[in-house]
Amino acid sequence: MTSLTAYIVRRLLLLVLVVLGVTVLIFAITMLFPAEIRAYMYIRNVEQARPEAIPRVIQIYGLNDPFYVQYGRWLGNLLQGNLGWSYTSSQSVVEAISSRWVYTFQIVMFAAPIIIFVGIYLGVQSAIHRNGLIDHICRVLSIIGWSLPSFWLGLILISVFSGQLRWVSIGPLSQEGINHVANTALFTRYTGVSVFDGILNAITRADISQLGITLDALAHVVLPVIVIVTIDVALLIRVMRSSMLEALNKQYITTAKAKGLSKNVVIYKHARRNALIPVATLSGMLVAGLLGGLVITETVFAYGGLGAWAARAALSTDITAVLGYAILTAVIFVIANLIVDILYAYIDPRIRLD
Amino acid sequence: MRPRVKEWKFMLMRIRQNSLALAGLVIILAFVCIAVLAPVLAPPNPADAFKIPRDMEINVLTPNPTPPTMRHIFGTTDQQYDLYYACIWGTITAFRTGLTVVGVSLIIGLLMGTVAAYYGGLLDEALMRFTDIIIAFPGLVLAMALVIAFPATVPINISMIALIIFILAMLMLLAFHPSRKLLLVVWGLLLLSILSMFYFPVSFQIPLSRLDKVLIAITLVGWPGYTRVIRGEVLRVKNEDFVEASKASGSSDFGIVVRHIWPNTVYPLLIVATLDIGSIVLSAAALSFLGIGASPDYADWGQIIQRSSPWINRPTELVANFHTFVIPGIFITLFVMGWNLLGDALRDVLDPTLRRR
Repeated sequence: MTSLTAYIVRRLLLLVLVVLGVTVLIFAITMLFPAEIRAYMYIRNVEQARPEAIPRVIQIYGLNDPFYVQYGRWLGNLLQGNLGWSYTSSQSVVEAISSRWVYTFQIVMFAAPIIIFVGIYLGVQSAIHRNGLIDHICRVLSIIGWSLPSFWLGLILISVFSGQLRWVSIGPLSQEGINHVANTALFTRYTGVSVFDGILNAITRADISQLGITLDALAHVVLPVIVIVTIDVALLIRVMRSSMLEALNKQYITTAKAKGLSKNVVIYKHARRNALIPVATLSGMLVAGLLGGLVITETVFAYGGLGAWAARAALSTDITAVLGYAILTAVIFVIANLIVDILYAYIDPRIRLD
Repeated sequence: MRPRVKEWKFMLMRIRQNSLALAGLVIILAFVCIAVLAPVLAPPNPADAFKIPRDMEINVLTPNPTPPTMRHIFGTTDQQYDLYYACIWGTITAFRTGLTVVGVSLIIGLLMGTVAAYYGGLLDEALMRFTDIIIAFPGLVLAMALVIAFPATVPINISMIALIIFILAMLMLLAFHPSRKLLLVVWGLLLLSILSMFYFPVSFQIPLSRLDKVLIAITLVGWPGYTRVIRGEVLRVKNEDFVEASKASGSSDFGIVVRHIWPNTVYPLLIVATLDIGSIVLSAAALSFLGIGASPDYADWGQIIQRSSPWINRPTELVANFHTFVIPGIFITLFVMGWNLLGDALRDVLDPTLRRR
């Protein structure tokens, strides 16, 4: 077995272990609730919610069984794609997630590339102009961005751009946009992502005015993306800066300079490539972690994605929904990490040996 | 002069030369002053100092927020909660939140990380895989789940307390008389204590306030990070020559850990802890903003901003009542920025590659 295959197999085994651990932890949190409360996770209509019906629900679903029996049953359901019933949204957790992920995706789609490119660019500029004006500006800005509460920044942006200037309303679309999208005679939902659907409808219906939906969706995604980028780009700038400074101090840079290579080749080909390794890992984690940060941002902008849904569920102690969201984010995070690690083990053989 | 004292003096000198660090320090000291002088700046509510007083006289006339006036220099929120009082006493809440969580996480991290790194083996592997699991969650999401899952009162089992005390005592014992056999005994005792829980179900209820739940949740989410940092540092230090020398001269493991290993891990810890205080206060504020943090009349910055969230759907009202969220938001941002500036500068000051040669 080559070292790369061995590395991937080892990482996959570890991934299974961590994901299993995640499910145990989540189930243990569920078990903090008494059986009477947990019964509500299985109730799907008013009839079953009557107080005298609760003991029957407990009996049917075996909610007083030992931990491992219940865990086994729950894990079996989970593997069949059954994450339980969310009573606040009156649908199963899987349905709720699949109907809302598009909104979250719409924000991540724009925020993630901006964060990564701006973060890397400013980090590199900051490092090569160390202690210069650009460096100081970047550092101060990143500390400010890092210290801002995202919900507060969101509130300020809403009051300025929606309240004072009235440029854009909050939510994923304007009221007219929502009405237009809801009318199946005028608009077809191909992907669920309004930005794409607007373009697709313009093409299939040969009607340029359908692009209005795309523009509408873009206008509504700007403020949430600004908040996410302001908060999250700071970390990337810092890591890129220190990684780049470290790379610039390496001996191969001295060698490259001594060879008479141009400054740009030394900086971008030799130093930046090597400095990108820790940043790539961080970017993978950051993008997966956006899901966590979106809880606040989507709530502030009433965006209706997964994060806002989880936050509203938490407010009414809808434990199935919150834990379903927690499992989803953890699994995405672990898988994103794995992909980044494997890609880099492929590119950089030094990593496999660790 | 002892080298360690000299080292601290050198560090202080570097901080004084660094304008960003100085700015951070000044901000933090200003907040310390506000916290210490809180009873003078805003006479405490006789019922409970952390309950925000309401102006009942205005309440009769209007339920809406009042803008800043001489009577309420920061104005009031909806239902006439005094913003000035909330901001001043919220400073104490912020310090309590940050310092408690960092302190407890540090203690857990020091014990766990040191034991894991120093003894290695199965214990190390188990601990690290456990931290993997917790770190896999976005911190805020897991904290959110934990906050809503905690009951209003926590049943503390007698055997559970015995368990905790026993583990701590054994860790200390282990450090004084190091032996892998004793490590096995700890594992056995752990199992025994867990079993005893089934036979001694006597428990008493400790009430948890909503803020307590937030603190516990953030600590539970945060300690694995510290454990990892400390483990890494101990691993780095434990094979150094001076540790070997100390071992050879017959020092106990405990002596080596306390005298040689911990002092050498203090700087990275200082940086992590300083930076973490800011993010902990932000997390607590975020939970409050989601409505699952401190209770609605508690003097807490995040909670007071949460009072503005009903106006999100009517942005013009948000503009009209902007003082209710802008003022506490400035307090949060400055507080967090103070710690971040200091932590960031500490990183530069303590970076060994940038030292005088």
